[in-house]
Amino acid sequence: MSNSGELSQRQQAWVLIKDHWDVSALLVLAIAPLGVPALGGALGGQFTTLFIYSILALGLNVMVGYTGLVHLGIAAFFGIGAYVTGILTVPMYPFQIGFLGAAIASIVVAAGIGLALGAPTLRLRGDYLAIVTLGFGEVVKVTLRNLEQITGGMKGLNPVPPPGAGVKLGGLDVGLSFAIDPRWFYYLSLGILAIVVIAMRRLENSRLGRAWMAVREDELAATAMGISATRVKLSAFAMSSAIAGLAGSLYAASLSTTADPNAYDFNRSIMVLCAVILGGLGSIPGTLLGVGILVGFDTVLAPWADSWIQQLDINPTGSSMLSFSGWRLAIFGVALVLVMRLRPEGLVPSRRVAAELHREEEHAAITKGF
Amino acid sequence: MRTNTNQQKSLAESAAEIPLLDIDRLTVRFGGLTAVSELDLEVKKGSIVSLIGPNGAGKTTAFNTISGIYEPSVGTVRFQGRRLEREMTASTVWGIVIIGLITGLFVATAAVDVDRLWLAVVKRGVATGQPFVIKDVFSRLRGYFRAELAIDQFSGKWRVVSADGAEVLAIKRTREEAQSLRNSLQAAVTARRAGPGTVPDSSDLVKSAEATPGIKSEVLDRLAAGKVRIRRRGWIGLFTGTLLGMTGALAVWRRGRRSPEVVARAGIARTFQNIRLFSNMTVLENVLIGLDRTIGGGIVGMLFRTPDNRRREREANAKALESLEFVGLASQANRLACQLAYGDQRRLEIARAISTGAQLVLLDEPAAGMNPSETIELANLVQRIRQRGITVLLIEHHMNIVMRISDRVAVLDYGIKICEGSPTEVKNNPKVIEAYLGSDATT
Repeated sequence: MSNSGELSQRQQAWVLIKDHWDVSALLVLAIAPLGVPALGGALGGQFTTLFIYSILALGLNVMVGYTGLVHLGIAAFFGIGAYVTGILTVPMYPFQIGFLGAAIASIVVAAGIGLALGAPTLRLRGDYLAIVTLGFGEVVKVTLRNLEQITGGMKGLNPVPPPGAGVKLGGLDVGLSFAIDPRWFYYLSLGILAIVVIAMRRLENSRLGRAWMAVREDELAATAMGISATRVKLSAFAMSSAIAGLAGSLYAASLSTTADPNAYDFNRSIMVLCAVILGGLGSIPGTLLGVGILVGFDTVLAPWADSWIQQLDINPTGSSMLSFSGWRLAIFGVALVLVMRLRPEGLVPSRRVAAELHREEEHAAITKGF
Repeated sequence: MRTNTNQQKSLAESAAEIPLLDIDRLTVRFGGLTAVSELDLEVKKGSIVSLIGPNGAGKTTAFNTISGIYEPSVGTVRFQGRRLEREMTASTVWGIVIIGLITGLFVATAAVDVDRLWLAVVKRGVATGQPFVIKDVFSRLRGYFRAELAIDQFSGKWRVVSADGAEVLAIKRTREEAQSLRNSLQAAVTARRAGPGTVPDSSDLVKSAEATPGIKSEVLDRLAAGKVRIRRRGWIGLFTGTLLGMTGALAVWRRGRRSPEVVARAGIARTFQNIRLFSNMTVLENVLIGLDRTIGGGIVGMLFRTPDNRRREREANAKALESLEFVGLASQANRLACQLAYGDQRRLEIARAISTGAQLVLLDEPAAGMNPSETIELANLVQRIRQRGITVLLIEHHMNIVMRISDRVAVLDYGIKICEGSPTEVKNNPKVIEAYLGSDATT
């Protein structure tokens, strides 16, 4: 009896954490730099990248997850955000409006371009839209490369100053702090990620979010209920692009360069799309977990495993067969195949479905216990 | 007093004379196949009208045409005396013009080579240390479009360059030297543009420019022609882009003129023969989609959860629950639509349709797949819908429902209306019996 009571208590704790996964995760990540000194070094930078990709994936989730429109060119909007921020902040150009203004401009420009792409492609569905977005991604990449006077071509634009460059707060040079201590960027991107998560949850449970899902579920039925599919899809395009633009802006500021246009190519779009699908379409925790696994694998786990193997000193010839990076993509592919085979709905399926499934499970467990 | 009531009566009568829905000689063809042929049907306000007929008689096609999914090949559908088409308003025209202009500007930007334009307007200002003020930006912009010569700084030297930076005409040590050379060369180019002899005042400047070693007369000729080229490119880009954008916007608008959304907004809602619920959304959310238009509020309200937004959502929830109560699904509000029983899904579709605030509801075989007791419940539900002041147009195969609740019945066979009248008239019509059971002439 006491055993079953304990079990249900443990279950209750688990349910509590699951219901407040966002607050718990945020708290853990916010406290982490105090306990893990490595986050003040290179690891902190890697986590910043992780957060930025999470923001990007949440943006893509609006289109692919909520609205059900396949988008293979999200990296283009990521790049547009990065380059707008670059143009508006680098010392080479006379604008230099600082990070905040540049981030807002990135959001607006990316949303505008998203609308311009969305408007003529509204009637396309499924594969056709996928091809159009794929093509658009390539067009943006090549355009960024060819507008050499504006974007610096393959060199990219640099240096992008850190946020708060030149701002002094009580003797503390904010820009300098950002430049030397990775924890500043860690907290900035974590904060923006938290804001985006809150915004997404609110939209999910509001009129616009419902309309997105209705269009995904059955476009004809939605229009027959007076929903304007045109507007709903355009809003999804704009929202998705705007969030991707924000992520791009943060990315450029954190790298202090826009990087070259090839950083915003098809591979990146596909990786983010894989993260969203792996985690669970239309699910915020799923998307975050998907990014954590896929991008974390690449940026955190792979370098760590490599250095560990090197320390073991079992690979004196430097053979790529004995380094983790050599197997990186193979592991990645096998893992994707396995997950899609065993759990096609994603690791954390959409909240509603999950809640529905788990309520029944918990119910069954509790009745069994008594 | 008496005349007054008479007047009211006659007004009411005349209002009743305009049918809520007026289908006039409606024909729908798919390629060579005629699905509905010359259908005439009037639905009076507050009535229940049934459309019956054997399978493949064109009933659902008629529904789809009324609700804007198909375009009628011939004939019209009028609702409250109006054709259900989006009208061309001033805002539509403005929208088309603005989309056209945006496209035009985009094409023009590409046509005048935005990369070079950026070099001339932004980068050259930085290189020569000029402050970035609006006035200078405009003068440099004008300079680019007039293909005027400019001075530029490059690794400590001052250069005289063409507007797009493609040609370097001379390299000087100081800014003043470069500026004076630029002025004289510009005068030479301007003189060439105007034709010989038209700019007498600058003739000596021209001579000095042409005497400058290393600058060939062909180069000046080419620069003189540049102005025309860049402007022509810009104008052609703007013109074709605008035309293209406006044509595209107009075409999209025309195709969306008679869409289901326009029909739904006018006040016709429908259910579907093969249930089309939003199956991964909850029951309540399904009804909230029906209410969507009445909720209102902008995205800022949704993001910040303003009191106004919360009030709207609360009111919508209450209305949605009321609709669910009406069809008897209130207890299931938080389940997913796909988890409902078949009959409940049909009733949810009805709740979703009436929550749009429609005046006319098209029910496409609402009793399909229901057992007898559910069927009777459904008949009562349809009558209660009518009591709410909503007119019902019904497609149904259960004859006991049709005969019990309909005010009028129309019978379709092979897309042709073979009979229309009260249920008893229809029941005894030999044509109807023939359509359903076959003619006995063969026996």
